[in-house]
Amino acid sequence: MVEVKEEEEKKQVAEAAAEIAPKEDEGENENESLPTISESEAENEVSSSSDSDGEPERDKALLIGVAFNIDELYTEILYIILHNVGCDVSLEVGQNSLFSYAQEAFRIPNNKHRQLMDIAESKQDPELMINVEVIEAKELKSKDSNGLSDPFVTLYLASNSSHKYNTSVKSMTLNPIWEEHFALPITGNSTGDTLCLEVWDFDPAESMKEKFVTATSGQHENELIGRASIPLNTIPASGMTMWYSLDKKHKATRQGVLKVRVSFSSGKNNQVAQQEHRHMRKIILLHELEMSKVAPHWWCGNFSSQGEQLLTQHIAQSGLWPTEVALCSYSVYADVHQKHPLSLTLFTKLLEKLVKPLKTEDISEEELKLFWEATRKLLPSCFSVIRKIRKKSTTEKTIMKQVIEVMKILNYITLLEPNGIDLFPSTLYPWITSREDGPNCDILSTLKEAVCRGASDWLEYLIEANSRQNETDLVKLQNLIQLIHLVRTDLQKSIEYYDKLFLDHLKFQYAKCLYVFYQARIATLCEPEVTEICKTLKKLHYVGYSFNSAPVNEDPTDDPLLEGTSLFEVYLTLQRFVMLGKGLCPAEYNSFHIKNFHKWFHGGVTQWLDIAVYKALIRIEKAVELDKLVHVDTSVKYSSSAVDALTIFYQVKTFWQQLNWPDVEGSYTFIAKIIDDICRCCVFYADKMAAKVDGLGEVEDIYDKKFEITNEWCLAINNIDYVRETLEPFTRELNMEEVLKQIGETKGPLDADRCKNTLENVISNAIDTVRNKIIELLEIVVNKMGPSMKRLLIEGAELCNQDSNSVDRLMMYVDNNLSTLHRELNSENFNRILQILWDQLSEILNDIIQNNLEKRRPPSFFANLHTTLNIMLGSFKNPDDCSSCDALQRTEQILKINGLETADLIHQAYLELANLFEKSGETKYGELSFRCKFQNDSLIIEIMNARDLLVMDSNGTTDSFVRIHLLPEHKFIGVEKPKTKTQNKTLFPLFDETFTIKLSTEQCEMEGGLILFSVKDRDMLGYNNQYIGEAFLRFSDIPRTDQDLSSLPQVKKWLNRPVTMDTNVIKALESRQGDKQAREFLKKYKQRMGS
Amino acid sequence: MRSASKNTLLKVVILGDGGVGKSCLMNRFVSNQFDEHSFHTIGVEFLNKDIEIDGETYTLQIWDTAGQERFKSLRTPFYRGSDICILTYAIDDKTSFNNLEMWRTEFSYYADVKENNQIPFIVVGNKSDVIAEEREVSQLEMETWCNENGITSCIETSAKNASNVQEAFKMAVQHWLRLESRADKNETDINDTVDLTKKSGDNRMSCCVGSSDD
Ligand SMILES: Nc1nc2c(ncn2[C@@H]2O[C@H](COP(=O)(O)OP(=O)(O)OP(=O)(O)O)[C@@H](O)[C@H]2O)c(=O)[nH]1
Ligand SMILES: [Mg+2]
Repeated sequence: MVEVKEEEEKKQVAEAAAEIAPKEDEGENENESLPTISESEAENEVSSSSDSDGEPERDKALLIGVAFNIDELYTEILYIILHNVGCDVSLEVGQNSLFSYAQEAFRIPNNKHRQLMDIAESKQDPELMINVEVIEAKELKSKDSNGLSDPFVTLYLASNSSHKYNTSVKSMTLNPIWEEHFALPITGNSTGDTLCLEVWDFDPAESMKEKFVTATSGQHENELIGRASIPLNTIPASGMTMWYSLDKKHKATRQGVLKVRVSFSSGKNNQVAQQEHRHMRKIILLHELEMSKVAPHWWCGNFSSQGEQLLTQHIAQSGLWPTEVALCSYSVYADVHQKHPLSLTLFTKLLEKLVKPLKTEDISEEELKLFWEATRKLLPSCFSVIRKIRKKSTTEKTIMKQVIEVMKILNYITLLEPNGIDLFPSTLYPWITSREDGPNCDILSTLKEAVCRGASDWLEYLIEANSRQNETDLVKLQNLIQLIHLVRTDLQKSIEYYDKLFLDHLKFQYAKCLYVFYQARIATLCEPEVTEICKTLKKLHYVGYSFNSAPVNEDPTDDPLLEGTSLFEVYLTLQRFVMLGKGLCPAEYNSFHIKNFHKWFHGGVTQWLDIAVYKALIRIEKAVELDKLVHVDTSVKYSSSAVDALTIFYQVKTFWQQLNWPDVEGSYTFIAKIIDDICRCCVFYADKMAAKVDGLGEVEDIYDKKFEITNEWCLAINNIDYVRETLEPFTRELNMEEVLKQIGETKGPLDADRCKNTLENVISNAIDTVRNKIIELLEIVVNKMGPSMKRLLIEGAELCNQDSNSVDRLMMYVDNNLSTLHRELNSENFNRILQILWDQLSEILNDIIQNNLEKRRPPSFFANLHTTLNIMLGSFKNPDDCSSCDALQRTEQILKINGLETADLIHQAYLELANLFEKSGETKYGELSFRCKFQNDSLIIEIMNARDLLVMDSNGTTDSFVRIHLLPEHKFIGVEKPKTKTQNKTLFPLFDETFTIKLSTEQCEMEGGLILFSVKDRDMLGYNNQYIGEAFLRFSDIPRTDQDLSSLPQVKKWLNRPVTMDTNVIKALESRQGDKQAREFLKKYKQRMGS
Repeated sequence: MRSASKNTLLKVVILGDGGVGKSCLMNRFVSNQFDEHSFHTIGVEFLNKDIEIDGETYTLQIWDTAGQERFKSLRTPFYRGSDICILTYAIDDKTSFNNLEMWRTEFSYYADVKENNQIPFIVVGNKSDVIAEEREVSQLEMETWCNENGITSCIETSAKNASNVQEAFKMAVQHWLRLESRADKNETDINDTVDLTKKSGDNRMSCCVGSSDD
């Protein structure tokens, strides 16, 4: 039977819960279920707990526990009515109405009534007493010389004035307090009788004994202060407490006031009276409940006036004390409450009255037993309120009220310390899980169980209601979210409404208790589902990671994305739930399994990171698409997509903040991943940006097709640069420092260092990658400029002298583009692009030179090209930078060389040799000594000697001579080339010959003029002189002096030979195959090199 | 700071059981250092390094992952987008060799590559310096396993004495290059699957380099 009730309750809770639970298809049920709940509940409560064995329910209910014979009880009622006491009887309700009320309440047929009435009438009058408590007097008139009195009170019934009762004497006071009780038997008809009260001043001259005697014997030595008389028919049956004025004959003024409590009682056996009263109260209550059809939980102690009258009369005529009445009521109400729930307020009021007497007064064993019996009956309904706290059929306010009452009740019961009493038998509390042997009276632990049980019933219903077969993972996840959300709402409500109540009344932490229960249940619910789903997550397929490729056109509403997002929502919901727990249960928090909820999601994080990137890529693509390529505003040099890209990155950051991953190792790793991802997003953005501007800038005019740098190109570059610049600050916002600090704390400084290094590497790798991406773009731009520059350069070279227009156009072209770049790019990127431009230019030039050398273009072509180049370089904004470009300088040098006439070129070759030999140290060819000077227009040369000459002949010696050439050759045509005599068979020849060569002034001052000393080995026949080596002397190094030659210092030079053909000059000469002069020079040059 | 150039960027992931010497391999390759008392990696470590092959410079972005099981979910996010996967075991640890299959599967799953043979796996048997008695996996076993799994490049290395470390990474890049050029070809070649397996079989021995001191 108890089981049935459990089921019923569950059903109700379930129905209630259905309302807040997500609806699927119960829309119509809702309206029906709402009103029916309260009705059906009443039925349930009554029918399910009463033994139905065929008897008509009313009579049976009456009989339960009634040891009395109904007839006897009824007779007693009639007897009470017949002997009504007190003033209120006939005034309010007539005797007849009481009779018919009683007959109805007791369901007594008329004939039986008459029969029992006869019995009642024939019974002798009740033994009634009037109880008088003389409490105090005030403002008494003084009777003594000292202005005070020594008052005492004398009381008696008028019908029996010889039987007087006296209080004690209170000396020297006008405001005495007595608090003394008297019981005066009433004889005969009480209605006409009067209670007389007299206050006297005690005469101190008399002895105590005499006073008593005189007072009772009616002599008047003592002085009367005043008197009051109370007709018995003015006293209500329930008794009363009143202040009475004291009068005295012939005296108009008041003699003082006296406070008295008067009530009726009988000489009945108290036990019997109590029992009688309980039965009577129960019958009347049941009758009234039936008649008034009062709703369950509503009745709070108000009877009809007849009912009230009967009970009051019974109390009065049976002489029951208030505590006894309260106990009777408590017992009866608790009993009825089991079947017909009454208002809990009723019980709190009774308990309020009972607690003190129960704790302090001498209460009989039997009464105590009665009390606990009743309490045992009352409590289930209290815990039921707790368990059904979420019931929606009742309003929040009603539930609150009920809970407050429950709190009060439980608090009272706790105060009464029910030690050793089995308050919670397992038959009534099957849901208590932790049971020990012996009586269970632990209110708090039962409360805890009730709280948990209520939460559990509710939660299980929700789970049940939401579960479908073959749910998709997505639905499962959404259900979890909903469920946790509902639980959170419930907790919040419990904090808001109930927590303080529980705490104030019982020191019970309601919300915390709930949380502890919920967290365990949610953990067991979520962990398997989440881990399972994480294991089988659908993969997100996209190619966004490979460079230059867009995400494949995947439907963003595709499952994996939604699933991942829902999983993340579950994560966030749990996170919030756990945070709540941290606040609610700071001490227990660490032992909660749910604390480590993030571990269930390990597999999901990969997916989330992927999704974050995937979404970012899609957004970036969109942002680039929408970019109109205009400055965001005049103060900045980037356009909308750059700003959007940042916003998109910050969305990733927001995701990271939301994730708030609790584990440091994971945090560290995911930060590395996010930085790397952001880097890839940057690269993706750069590619998209480049693709967007790719076609721009191709212009065609009457002359040609060319590429003009456009603002859009510059914007694209600036955009990427802007994004790059924000990379590092962005990464700093990922809370890296904190994470590294924690790693340092948990794993030690070495690990923290390694992690730090890795993060820094990842960051700088990201920055470098994006920077290189920018350079790549700059190169694209320059490459696009290449063909135009090339064409213009060639045209310039071809047409330099005839038509300067092409040079102008070249200049304009370069100038235009550079000024656009200069205006739009920041200086760093402008310098970068210049650098690239130089490299590109020298590459182009090299190309042109190579091409045209092959085509045997005349030196003038190269000279023109050189001029054109110089004009072009001149137009660059930053001429300093161009010197930093080695490639261009080298190329320009080549150009210069190739632009020279052959004779100049040959001289260039000599000059280079002279420079080269200058640096040479000792050689194997020997050393030459000589002295030179210019005097007037003559060059005077004294060849002195040579030493350590190279052995040229087979006999180990050399036959050497020196020839003198003046260079450049073509400037000294007709000038003699003197030579010394041959010094035979010596490696240390002494020449000692002086030559004077007549020259023109111009020749003497020839810029770049050189003397070439060539030392040869004379062949026997003189045909085939062998070359030993050569030395140079610059005209600029020769003194112009009138001094004697012998006073000048000797010049010593080591002899050298040319060693390489691999110089730009020689190559240029070699390219002039058709030029005889060049050919001959090269031939000799090779001879000089020796083989 | 990396050089400002447009080197080809290659993402390299090193996988294998905890303690087989992945971090040591990377450190040997990047900074030519060896740490006898290296710690288990937390999650991942990252370094980059330029490598020159046939006159071309490639920038390797190397992700060294944590082999311990508890780091599984921390390392797997890094697989996506990798160009090269280095499967590592220690020749003195049979279990680490047996786990290669697991690593390959894990990588293929999380890297989200459509066909297995498009992933440039190379297998590296580290700690080739250990004395013969401690060796648990022979070179032949490695080659057989690779052959069975369609992996064409394998090598034994020692991070400790630096043997074959440069070669291993070089081999990985070359392997990638071969796959790249093949992929380019495949764009026109529809009937490629048969070709591929045949080719990988033929090339196998030539790509497998054993440790010199074996
Ligand atoms: N003899 C020898 N020992 C090595 C070699 N390489 C690494 N070790 C040792 O192996 C141990 C582990 O090396 P790690 O590089 O930290 O291993 P790991 O693969 O990175 O391990 P996890 O980070 O946990 O995945 C260290 O004590 C190294 O000294 C090697 O080539 N030969
Ligand atoms: Mg490691």
